[in-house]
Amino acid sequence: MRAVSEVLCDWEAVIGLEVHCALTTLQTKMFCGCKLEFGAPPNTHTCPVCLGLPGALPVPNKAAIESIVLAGLATNCDIMRRSLFYRKGYLYPDMPKGFQITQGPVAFCMNGFLDLHVDGPGAEERPDPPDAPQADGGYVARIGIERIHLEEDAGKMIHVGGDGGRIAGATHSLVDYNRAGTPLIELVTRPDLRTPEEARLFLQKLRRVFVALGISDCSMEKGSLRADGNISLRRRGSDGLGVKTELKNINSFKHLHDGLAYEICRQAAVLESGGTIRQETRHWDPVSKHTIVMRVKETADDYRMFPDPDLAPYDLSDEFVARVRAKLPELPDQKAKRFMADYGLPDADARILATRVGLTGFFEAGMAIAGDSVRMFAKPLANLLVNDVPAAVGTDESFDLAASPLTPARAIELVRLLVDGSISSRQGKEVLAAVLRDDEDPAVIVAARGMAQVSDIAVIESVVDAVLAANAGQVARYRDGKRGLIGYFVGQCMKATDGRGNPRLINEVLARKLDEQPPAHPAS
Amino acid sequence: MEFGCRDIASIQAGLRARRFSAVELAESVLARVHAQDVRLHAFLEVTDELALRAAGRVDSAIVAGAFDELGPLAGVPIAYKDNMNLAGTHTTCASRMLENYVSPYTATCVKRTLDVGAIPIGKLNMDEFAFGSSTETSAFGVTRNPWELDRVPGGSSGGSAAAVAAGMVPVALGSDTGGSVRQPACFCGVVGVKPTYGVVSRYGVVAFGSSLDQVGPFARTVRDAALALNALSGRDPLDCTSQECTLDFTANLAQGVAGMRVGVVPAFLEAEGLSAEVKAKVEEAAEQLSRLGATIVEVELPNAKAAMSAYYVLGPCEAFSNLSRFDGLRYGYQDAGHDDLGGQYEASRAVGFGPETRRRIMLGSYLLSSGVYETYYYPAQQVRTLITQDYVTAFEACDCILGPVSPTAAWRFGERSDPRSMYLSDMFTVSINIAGNGGMSVPVGVGAHTGLPVGVQLVAPAFRDANMLRVAAALETVYGPAPTAPGFASERAGD
Repeated sequence: MRAVSEVLCDWEAVIGLEVHCALTTLQTKMFCGCKLEFGAPPNTHTCPVCLGLPGALPVPNKAAIESIVLAGLATNCDIMRRSLFYRKGYLYPDMPKGFQITQGPVAFCMNGFLDLHVDGPGAEERPDPPDAPQADGGYVARIGIERIHLEEDAGKMIHVGGDGGRIAGATHSLVDYNRAGTPLIELVTRPDLRTPEEARLFLQKLRRVFVALGISDCSMEKGSLRADGNISLRRRGSDGLGVKTELKNINSFKHLHDGLAYEICRQAAVLESGGTIRQETRHWDPVSKHTIVMRVKETADDYRMFPDPDLAPYDLSDEFVARVRAKLPELPDQKAKRFMADYGLPDADARILATRVGLTGFFEAGMAIAGDSVRMFAKPLANLLVNDVPAAVGTDESFDLAASPLTPARAIELVRLLVDGSISSRQGKEVLAAVLRDDEDPAVIVAARGMAQVSDIAVIESVVDAVLAANAGQVARYRDGKRGLIGYFVGQCMKATDGRGNPRLINEVLARKLDEQPPAHPAS
Repeated sequence: MEFGCRDIASIQAGLRARRFSAVELAESVLARVHAQDVRLHAFLEVTDELALRAAGRVDSAIVAGAFDELGPLAGVPIAYKDNMNLAGTHTTCASRMLENYVSPYTATCVKRTLDVGAIPIGKLNMDEFAFGSSTETSAFGVTRNPWELDRVPGGSSGGSAAAVAAGMVPVALGSDTGGSVRQPACFCGVVGVKPTYGVVSRYGVVAFGSSLDQVGPFARTVRDAALALNALSGRDPLDCTSQECTLDFTANLAQGVAGMRVGVVPAFLEAEGLSAEVKAKVEEAAEQLSRLGATIVEVELPNAKAAMSAYYVLGPCEAFSNLSRFDGLRYGYQDAGHDDLGGQYEASRAVGFGPETRRRIMLGSYLLSSGVYETYYYPAQQVRTLITQDYVTAFEACDCILGPVSPTAAWRFGERSDPRSMYLSDMFTVSINIAGNGGMSVPVGVGAHTGLPVGVQLVAPAFRDANMLRVAAALETVYGPAPTAPGFASERAGD
């Protein structure tokens, strides 16, 4: 099969995502008081309501409604003041009531969008970027969000006796209802995504937003963030929509990208050989690196949706929405803009520091300590965090900045030593390594190693004078044109200062003294 | 006199004066139930042990001088329709599907009666999952009408009405989705109240039509029903459709009806199928109220004629969904031995559910399917809005509406075999569930033709249930409290 960027020159991919996010930061389930806890012994967090026992009734979790309104506000959605919970009927052992409580045609959040900044090699997947290229060669794409609604999760089925937990060949199945009734939000995008890279970036951006809002841990490993991708192809220049396939339950950004890329190539190959695409659900197998049919959809499912009579229509007051809006934290995009404006950081640094979960808090804590020097310290601190720390850590994947000996206070101390010239940038890297290894303050390390630079101009001048006096022959040669000897003089000065002389000052003073004294014997 | 034939005041006076203990009372009631219920089959389970334990607690309170702190139902024997969960008892809904189901928790309405000192005597027969008007769809056999044993007690809360009419318990609870408290109360000649939707919590009551279901009491006096409502009513955090309610339902029972405006709906009295004796009783009741000082006014409910159609859309839709949980996997009847899940579901439900239940499920399943939903469910909801508005308008002209409960008195077993004629017996009651108002049946003697008990229906404005209780109390001054059914009246008079 051809590469995806090549296929996309002939075909336009139309991709939409459905993203499920469990509201893991809440204390209790969506419609009962059972505790939300991942990994608890099976069926220990259950009650008549989440087990769907006869007679039990749902009571909505108000905190979950606050969470979804936060999600809606952060993704530019209209917050619908009046909406209804519906019952969506399906019989399966993981759904103890025989229906799922979800929302009807009107969800709490409708008509939003997120802007994606697509750059790097991934930007090349799209032959027709939607706007003028950005400074970095990337582009910005606005991805519409149709709706975000609130619903309850199903229980978890565990199939036993088959191959790798699959239902095929299993002898029996177990159900754990701890997950049943977990508050979920489902976000449905408009079919505005055009490349696997855009889909991947959208999901990553959404994850950052939800994490920043504090509404979910968004752990793809634990299944608290999962995505389904709908994809169809159409010939470039055509407006129609092709038959779509759905990639279900994708649990990593890479799988989302690779699965969609595979589907694009597979569908193109089928269509180009005169075949037709069947509407079907497929599964991405990251091991064999292809998608497998799960289910062919002959007819649309009939879920027999109707408004849940146990739950009155929900009326959100303007006061409630205003109260939630006031709780909105600063979002990554806003933060990046502020880092540029307030600290004078370049765009690329600002975006990295505003979006990498581990870095943002650290950087901001550092800026808080920097006081009046923020504009002076921001860029060196950015360099330290974005370049030097990763270089010092190398391939150690277990490294966790938050738990490391490098605190924001120590980082700022290090930056201060660099900025005021007390240590050189080479020494800075040495100090950083020592901080990480020995859990010591930079100043202590610098003092213990006698690293503090000698920057006293009088001291430097006397050192330079002494070195020049002791090397009259070399001085003469220098003045005869052997300019390369400057390195020799610098080395001698450093030696004389035990390596602590400020190299910049030494260079300056040397240059001045060597050039200002007229030659004893004018060149002929 | 048998304790079950007494009213609450008399029982509590006896306990307070220590003429008998609560345990003696419970033992006596249990003995009578065991002896008499073989004739009626009102009970599906008699909870001897729970009753005696509760009675023991009442006796301890009496000894401690704390009897009056127990609450309005202290020492009152009570029984519950078998769709109400009471921890440790079976909750079968009179269905094979739940034949062996034991409740792990207690419904709020049940708990509230127990919290105020009631003594739980047992669980009562009903139409399967409350689908029916005669208690004939019970999977465990019919309940007989204590007035004439070859007649139905009405339904779906037939066991509740029969138990009270036969003097086995002074108070029983039922649930009413389209008339299931009022119609059996009418057939058995007792008081039966369906409060305004939201007055009583539905938590723990196995749902039939969630937007229509409401729990209410059966009793032989209006005051006893009002006392039960005092215990039952009020907001429950476990049911978000329940409402705050601090009313004392007994407060204005003795006020009389002078100055009240009582509405009658002429179209109801002209309705096809209304028997002459029932019509005569309604007119007689109106005259009595007029004589007592009420003003009789005519009111219209122009859309009420569409109530049956709306009810048989909304009810089955909600029932279909509510009964989806009975898949025989975690509890309930399981038809094992299938090698595919679908086959097991199908067989378990085909065997576990009776014919009427299957009929309603299939009806609801059809009505909610795509393409059909828009044609039925949505218009039914619009009809609901219109009927609700009709009642609001009617209650601008009156404080209470008087009318028939059932077009006829109790019929004989098997007499109504086609579902449609059975459904039509609810023609006067369903519009009240559709609108959500409170309604009740109050006995007004026996019919001139059949000699069977007849009740009239009183309907109140939403959340002003006290209005209808006040009118009912006035009628009670004319017709007297509900008598124990003749064949079950106490052999020993007095006490």
